[in-house]
Amino acid sequence: MAYRLEISLKPHLFDAEGAGVRRKAFDYFGIRLDSVRTIHIITIDANLSEEQLSVLKNDVFTNPVIQISSFDPLQLPFDWIIWTGYRPGVRDNPGATAVEAAEDILGITFGSEDAIYASKRYCLNGQHLTDRDVLLIAGELLANDIIQQWQIFTKQNWNSSEGIGLICPKVVLNHTPKVTTIPIGNDQALKRISDQRNLALNPKDIPTIREYFLNEKVMAERYTVGLQEPTDVELEYISQARSDHCNHNTFRGKFFYRNLVTGKKEVVDNLFKTCIESPTLELMKKKPWVVSVLWDNAGIGQFDNNHYYVITGETHNSPSNMEAYGGAITGIVGVYRDPLGTGKGAKLVMGSYGYCVAPRNYAGWLKPKLHPRRLLDGVIEGVRDGGNKSGIPTPFGQVLFHSGYLGKCLVFVTAVGLMPSKIKGKPSEQKTTHDGDLVIMCGGRVGKDGIHGVTAASETFSQHTPAGHVQIGDPYTQKKMHDFLLEARDKGLIQFITDNGGGGLSSSVGESARFSNGCYIELDKVPLKYEGLDQWEIWVSESQERMTVAVKPEDLESFMALSKQHAVESTVIGRYTSSGKLHITYKGRTCAYVDMDLLQHGFPQWEFEAEWCPPEIRLKEPVLQEPVDIETLLIDMLSRPNVCSKEWIVRQYDHEVQGTSVIKPLVGVHRNMVSDAAVIRPVLASEKGLAFSQALLPHYSAIDTYHMTSCTIDEAIRRIVAVGGNFEHIGGVDNFCWPDIGFSPSKNPDGKFKAAQLVRSCRALRDTCLAYGIPLLSGKDSMYVDGHLPGRYGETHKVSALETLQFSAISEVPDISRCVTMDSKAPDDLIYILGMTRNELGGSEYYDHLGYVGLTVPKVFPNKFAVLYRVLNRVVEKQMVASVHGIYRGGLGVHLAMVAIGGQLGMDIDLTRVPREAVNRMDTVLFSETAGRFIITIDPVQQKTFEQLLKGIPFACIGKTTEEKQFILKANGQKLVHLHISQIEKAWKSPFEHL
Amino acid sequence: MKNVHALVLTGYGLNCDNETAYAFGQVGAKAQKVHINSLIDGTVSLDTFQIMTFIGGFSWADDHGAGVIQAVRMKTNIGDKILSFIDRGNLVLGICNGFQTLVNLGLLPGFDRNYQDRRVALTWNESGKYRDGWVNLKINPDSPCIFTKGIKTIELPIRHGEGKFYTDESTLKRLSIQKQVVMQYANAKGYPAEGAFPFNPNGSHNDIAGICDPTGRVFGLMPHPEAFSHPTNHPDWTRMKEVQKRKNKFDFYKDLPPLGLKIFKNAVDFFTLT
Repeated sequence: MAYRLEISLKPHLFDAEGAGVRRKAFDYFGIRLDSVRTIHIITIDANLSEEQLSVLKNDVFTNPVIQISSFDPLQLPFDWIIWTGYRPGVRDNPGATAVEAAEDILGITFGSEDAIYASKRYCLNGQHLTDRDVLLIAGELLANDIIQQWQIFTKQNWNSSEGIGLICPKVVLNHTPKVTTIPIGNDQALKRISDQRNLALNPKDIPTIREYFLNEKVMAERYTVGLQEPTDVELEYISQARSDHCNHNTFRGKFFYRNLVTGKKEVVDNLFKTCIESPTLELMKKKPWVVSVLWDNAGIGQFDNNHYYVITGETHNSPSNMEAYGGAITGIVGVYRDPLGTGKGAKLVMGSYGYCVAPRNYAGWLKPKLHPRRLLDGVIEGVRDGGNKSGIPTPFGQVLFHSGYLGKCLVFVTAVGLMPSKIKGKPSEQKTTHDGDLVIMCGGRVGKDGIHGVTAASETFSQHTPAGHVQIGDPYTQKKMHDFLLEARDKGLIQFITDNGGGGLSSSVGESARFSNGCYIELDKVPLKYEGLDQWEIWVSESQERMTVAVKPEDLESFMALSKQHAVESTVIGRYTSSGKLHITYKGRTCAYVDMDLLQHGFPQWEFEAEWCPPEIRLKEPVLQEPVDIETLLIDMLSRPNVCSKEWIVRQYDHEVQGTSVIKPLVGVHRNMVSDAAVIRPVLASEKGLAFSQALLPHYSAIDTYHMTSCTIDEAIRRIVAVGGNFEHIGGVDNFCWPDIGFSPSKNPDGKFKAAQLVRSCRALRDTCLAYGIPLLSGKDSMYVDGHLPGRYGETHKVSALETLQFSAISEVPDISRCVTMDSKAPDDLIYILGMTRNELGGSEYYDHLGYVGLTVPKVFPNKFAVLYRVLNRVVEKQMVASVHGIYRGGLGVHLAMVAIGGQLGMDIDLTRVPREAVNRMDTVLFSETAGRFIITIDPVQQKTFEQLLKGIPFACIGKTTEEKQFILKANGQKLVHLHISQIEKAWKSPFEHL
Repeated sequence: MKNVHALVLTGYGLNCDNETAYAFGQVGAKAQKVHINSLIDGTVSLDTFQIMTFIGGFSWADDHGAGVIQAVRMKTNIGDKILSFIDRGNLVLGICNGFQTLVNLGLLPGFDRNYQDRRVALTWNESGKYRDGWVNLKINPDSPCIFTKGIKTIELPIRHGEGKFYTDESTLKRLSIQKQVVMQYANAKGYPAEGAFPFNPNGSHNDIAGICDPTGRVFGLMPHPEAFSHPTNHPDWTRMKEVQKRKNKFDFYKDLPPLGLKIFKNAVDFFTLT
């Protein structure tokens, strides 16, 4: 029997949620609603007595102070009604917590058939609403058909006693789990089945797979366990493990690189090994603080004698592109499992975000699945709920707009953890599985969620991409698990821990079993959300919030008791062995039996043609006379979406939980200016800090990805140095997002060029990191950031994202009391520029504003710049400076304005004093994005010692701060800009202020 | 000096346990993080504590109203023990999600020593959005609240989506008359914000940020005092430091005390100084 409880705010109370819908309806579609009232619906699918229902209604689901509720439809005025609820099988977080509350207060246990479902009914009021309006609000604002269902009611068809009816989105599969064997008679047959089953096997892998299963010794061994031809479980396992997402085939591929101008040919064998692994190993020798890299879920650096920090970054692009909220929350909650699964497990201490999306006001003909503004809103909210509800501060983040991300958006999420250097006297970074250890799955249960997520992320998005891989993360379940596992860790109960992310158990068990060299798994032990999953589905499902843990049999009792105390589900699903075999059974029958080393060798390397066409051939500098109205130009630059304030996002993220905040994301007098980097004090009793920053400069890719990469790294480092991070201790994380680089004359005609761009980017990564001494603690790649979008006439367009690298930098801060912020601090302070300005407008925000790309992309000179960064470390350490700010996207003009707004002080600047190399024009001085530069303000009494320390570095004092809030830029005795601080602040704040 | 034992609740999505325990430790209390289930199954007894803290976080994900399910679970399982804990003259502090839980339990406002009556609510911010930002707070000098003694104004961060204080007119009046309105959102000059955003960040009635029971021993507030346990937590610390530097004061921490700790100190003093 099902019961439907409707809950709403008392009619006279302000409905903030409804007001939000009203605001978005106008912002998205220009639809004017008079009012919206929200009704929360709890549908209880369980046999309960009237008395029990009344307890639930009155003591749990209705707040007597503010709410009304009824098991009959609430009679609220409306012109239209929209009901939305989840589709069957979609994670219903409020439904799940409702069950917990009901069980607790009633003292009962819900059976496997019982459930509670949460949904919403919106009462829309607006006299002139049309059915088209309401359809838009339902389908393009309130619900996403991938995860939700919805219904629209008019006054005419609304039955006030039936209401929405009794809708229970229960999953009923009526399916008996079955293992299927796959014939491997020939390559074509296997290829066909791979396509049919969405296995995404690489055609080149197929002969290797067949060869293995046709090997006589293998066949004889398999025969002893009742197997002949490969099972679907086995092929799914191989497919997951061999996917580009898990195996990084692209980065490990062989590139045949050719310079089209010189004709020079090179073979680049394995970008991962040559550009990431080997420089990091080399640097590790010089940097004793690098504790563990290149093998675990995240990299580990030393924080102090007793603590390590852990860092990694991820993207969650494809799912977010289709269901922004669900994709983003799954992304952030997912990346938080990586530090938890690193070493013996790390506590999460901060997260960050990077969103690359198409312009919010896109009004073209192309029809992406989600309009960019809806997509961005959803992504913001997903990461917000995922981070906030995990109790992890989010003190840094960036947003970048470019029309290339219309095809696929990018959602970067980064996680930092902290762990004691020793657990029960043993090094915390080490872990292994032993023969006899139990395989335990902790956290959520397994359903059909995310099946083939990994392989979908390795494909270009098209209309045929299965939507089933979109999930909704559950930070609540994960937070409970996080607290539990850290306590288990400290009690010494954990031998090995890793997360269930892409590939599910297939990856986590498959990889952890390599240490003991084998495992024996009983799939029927795996707890399911609902019955009817095939064995292969249980094995590869990506249902979230799960960790795989190895526990010694003698520790099992303590482990399970602790798990119960934390209300976390943990289940023994098998044991690690040293048999050399991955052995999987279901109810006693073997459904997979393959050699552990099957994946280690024998598979062919991927190969790519790469053709580099130098920018001089493709591009030119625009012919542009110097602008006269610099003042208006500066105002317009400050209002550019990629420059202006995004405070509305920052404030929605808890950046202070855990009590560790040192440098916040927003600083300055009005606490609204963007900080160069974040600093936290992760060990509360310590005066040491961690500085964290990120950079994204994909616009430069249009010219040369080599310089895009080196500039991105340089920016991230400068951000760290600006706040006082130690330049000698900076770890990096590289996150590549690249369009498809596989050449196809019809489908990807510029694939060879994009492949060359990737090679150049990786080389810059290697060169820059080696020169600056930055080991890569972690990194990921996400290829195929392309989309095929329907156009005006029913045609489709391939839209590729910019070649994007997000670089994260983390460093120790020896003494947090020395940290500096970017806002000017006092009137009559001297303003300095450190570093040389060059004619490097190529790819700049200024050129973009005027519709150009240009050619003269900024270049990095790491050896020269490093001298400056070391000096800056000393200057900050000696507490000589009042403010430090790097000059980033937008150039000097934009960033001087930011320092001034931050301090709410005027500036009187003579631009002719700016140190520069072959630059005569003031637009170049103001908007060139030359790397390696800073704006610094100092107390005039410091001038002499400060300048002495800067010997040998290009610098100049270009003016001073002023009490009067006038922002004045002069050149050659002429005033180019004379604006009040409030004017530039308004220009910078206003574009997104209404959000 | 006798030890003061502070209980810091954890589990089920609560998340400010470390910093709250740290804050108590900084002011000389013995703080112990205790899982909700350990209290319920009796592994840990309330009897050994003088201060019980309902901390910040997202208990049960804040689904079905912030703090609602936590209140249900506590009331169902150990409601009577909490009541007798208060009866014995102990202190109860609720921060953010903890405050939300206290009002849903009915521990606040606790009129006429009735600690089971839900009379006030903390509901969705007027903006409909979660917000992190520092606020100015004015403390009612006439309030019996133990935790705010000697504080006139204080700056603390708020971090919530559901912090709008709401109640009916008569309750509001009574709270005022009984001086149970402890803490109000204030403007830069220290006067009540009168609803003006962002000083009043959530649209709270009467700018209310925190209330106590008539005894002053049960206190709930939306802002996070435990997040101001170090000088560098303050959003303006680099600016204040620069001012000190120019007076040749390089030990600037001294001039920038982490005032959030004062609230915990008052709680400890209540037991040690009486």
